[in-house]
Amino acid sequence: MKLLIIEDEASLNQSIVDFLTAAGYLCESVSNYREAVEKIEVYDYDCIILDIMLPDGSGLALLKQLKEDQKTDGVIIISAKGALEDKIEGLQLGADDYLTKPFHLSELSVRISAIIRRKSFKGQSLMHIGEISIDTIGKTVKVKEQEVELTQKEFQLLLFLTVNKNRVLSKNAIAQHLWGDDMDFAANYDFIYSHIKNLRKKLMAAGSEDCIRSIYGEGYKMQFA
Amino acid sequence: MKLFSRYNRINIAATIFIFAIGSVAFYFVLQYVLIRQLDETLRSEQQEVIEYVTAHDQLPEIQNTKHQWITVEKAIVPIPKTNPVRVWQKNSREDEMEPVRLLVFSVSAANQLYKVSVYKSENETEDLLKLIILVTVAMIGLILLFNYLINRRLITRIWQPFYHTIDKIRDYQLTAQNPLSLSKEPIDEINLLNDSLNSMTQRIHQDYSALRSFSENASHEMQTPLAVIRSKVESLLQDAEGNPKNVQQLLVIEDATLKLSRLHQSLLLLTKLGNRQFILNESVDLTQIIEHKLQEREELFHSKELKMIRSLDPVTLSFHQHLAEILVGNLLNNVIRYTPNGGDISIRLNHELLSVTNTAAHGALQSDRVFERFYKAENTQDGTGLGLAIIKEICHLAGFTITYRYTDNRHEFTIYFK
Repeated sequence: MKLLIIEDEASLNQSIVDFLTAAGYLCESVSNYREAVEKIEVYDYDCIILDIMLPDGSGLALLKQLKEDQKTDGVIIISAKGALEDKIEGLQLGADDYLTKPFHLSELSVRISAIIRRKSFKGQSLMHIGEISIDTIGKTVKVKEQEVELTQKEFQLLLFLTVNKNRVLSKNAIAQHLWGDDMDFAANYDFIYSHIKNLRKKLMAAGSEDCIRSIYGEGYKMQFA
Repeated sequence: MKLFSRYNRINIAATIFIFAIGSVAFYFVLQYVLIRQLDETLRSEQQEVIEYVTAHDQLPEIQNTKHQWITVEKAIVPIPKTNPVRVWQKNSREDEMEPVRLLVFSVSAANQLYKVSVYKSENETEDLLKLIILVTVAMIGLILLFNYLINRRLITRIWQPFYHTIDKIRDYQLTAQNPLSLSKEPIDEINLLNDSLNSMTQRIHQDYSALRSFSENASHEMQTPLAVIRSKVESLLQDAEGNPKNVQQLLVIEDATLKLSRLHQSLLLLTKLGNRQFILNESVDLTQIIEHKLQEREELFHSKELKMIRSLDPVTLSFHQHLAEILVGNLLNNVIRYTPNGGDISIRLNHELLSVTNTAAHGALQSDRVFERFYKAENTQDGTGLGLAIIKEICHLAGFTITYRYTDNRHEFTIYFK
C-alpha cells in the first residue's frame, strides 16, 4: 500500500511517515505544493494525506488537479482549519475524509485503512488477524469460522485495535475514536474498560487467543504471541 | 413619524397660521378702505348739497335710493363739523337692523337752518367684503391642497433612492463576500449618503476579513505545533511501555495538549460567534439532536449512575445545525461533568423553552458570573471554563435568553426561545 504525505511542517511530516511506515505502509513524503504536483502527476497512490495549507499553494487546488486528471487516489485532508465550511468544501471537492489537527496518529491510520478498503473493489473488505477475521462491509466477526456477536462499539473498537496492532492505544485516543471529539470525558474512562472487557471475553469465548493487552496506566494494545 | 409627514405637518401649520393672520389683516385693511370710500361718497354728497344750497339758496330736491338716502329737518343751532359715524337702522324691507354710515351737517337756505343727514347703507360693502374673503379662503384652501398633493407625489419620488439605500443596508450581511455597493443617484444628499455608506462598509468589510483571516491563521499556527507535540508524545508512549513513570508524564503532556487544543477551538468558536460568522437559517430538529447527543453519552450516564428524566416535545427551530449540536452538547457535557455520582438530571423541551436541571454537588453558582468566560466554580479544576460562555453566545446570536436558577439543591439552566 503506497501513501503520499503532503505536509509542510517537517517534524509532523516525519512523525506521520514513521507511524505509517511502522503500520506497514510504503510512504513517500513531500513538504510543498510544487513537489506534490510532480508526485501526483507521475505516480498513483492508494491514499494521499493532504495538508490544505501549504506554503506555496492550496491543497484544495491539488484536489481539483486530481479530479481533472481523473485519478482515483483516496484523499484524506489534515487541516488546522476546523471550520465546518472548510470541511464541507474539501469533501465536495472529492476528498474522502477530513481530520482536524491535532489528531491521534492511530486515528489517522484507521481512517486511511477505511479509505483504502472502500476504494479497492477486489473483495478487500475482509481483514485477518490471528484467528480473527473481520468483514468490514457486513460488519461481522468470525473466530475460526465461528461468528462472534459484537455490539457496534465493540466492533469499532476491534477494528481500531486491529488496524493499530502492536501499538499502544491511549484511552484518550480510543475514547475520541469511539465517541467523537465533542464529548467531555472529564478524565473518566471507566466505560472504555468495560467495552474492552466485554470484547475480550467474547473473543476468548469463541476460541481466540487473548490478544488485547492492558498496558498499565496507559491504554490497550492488540498483540499476538 | 415619517420625515415627510413631519415636514408636511409643520409646513401646513405654518402656512395656515400665516394665511390666517394674513386673512384677518386683509379683512381689516379691506374694511377700512371700503368704509373710507363710503365716507368719501358721503362727503361728496355733502359737498353737492352745500354747493347746491350756495348756488340756489334753497334745498335741493332729494332723490333717495335703496342704499342712500337723505333726511332734512329744521335746526336751531348749527351743527359742528363731524366725521361720518356708524349707526344701526332698520332695514327697509326686513325687520333686521343693519349698519349704516351717517354724516350729519347743517346748511342754511332762505334764512332757515337745516340739519341734513346723509345715510349710506354698509350692506353693499359688507357683501363685497364677504365675497372677497370667500374667494380668498377658497384660494388658500386650494393652495394648501395642491401643495400637499404635489409634495406628496414629489417627495415620495425624490425619497425613492433613500428607501432603496435603506433596503440594501437592511439586507446587507457582513459575512457576505461583497461589500455594499450603492449606485450613483442624481440627488447630492443621497449620493453623499451612499458614498459614505459605501466607504464605511468597505472599511468594515476589510477589517472584518482581516480579523477573520487572522483568527483562522492563528488557528492554523497554533494547532500545527500542537499536532507535532501530540504526534511526538504518541511515538514516545510506544517506546515508554513498561516505564510507568515516563508513561505517566507523557500522559500528562498529552492531556495538557488536548486541553490546550480544546481551549483554542473554543476561543476560536467564540470569536466566530462574536463576528457573527454564522447564518441561522436552517431548519433544525432540536428533539432529534438532543436524543442523538443523549445516546452518544449513554455510557457516561451509566458510568456515573446518573438518573435521567426527559420530556421532549417535537420542536423544530430556524437555527444552525452545527451550532445547535454544540449548544446541546455543551449543555449535556456540563451537566454530566458537574452532577455528582448517583445524582439525577432532567431535560424538558417544548416550544417555549429547553430546560436542563441537575443535582448540585457544591451549592449554588454565582448567577451573575456563571456565563463569564473562564468562570469556574470553587472545587472544580478541569474543564475549559468556556462551555457556558459559548452557550450564552449562541443563545445571544439566535435571540434566545438563557437563565440560571438554583432551587432545592438543583442547578437549572433554561433557554427561552423567544
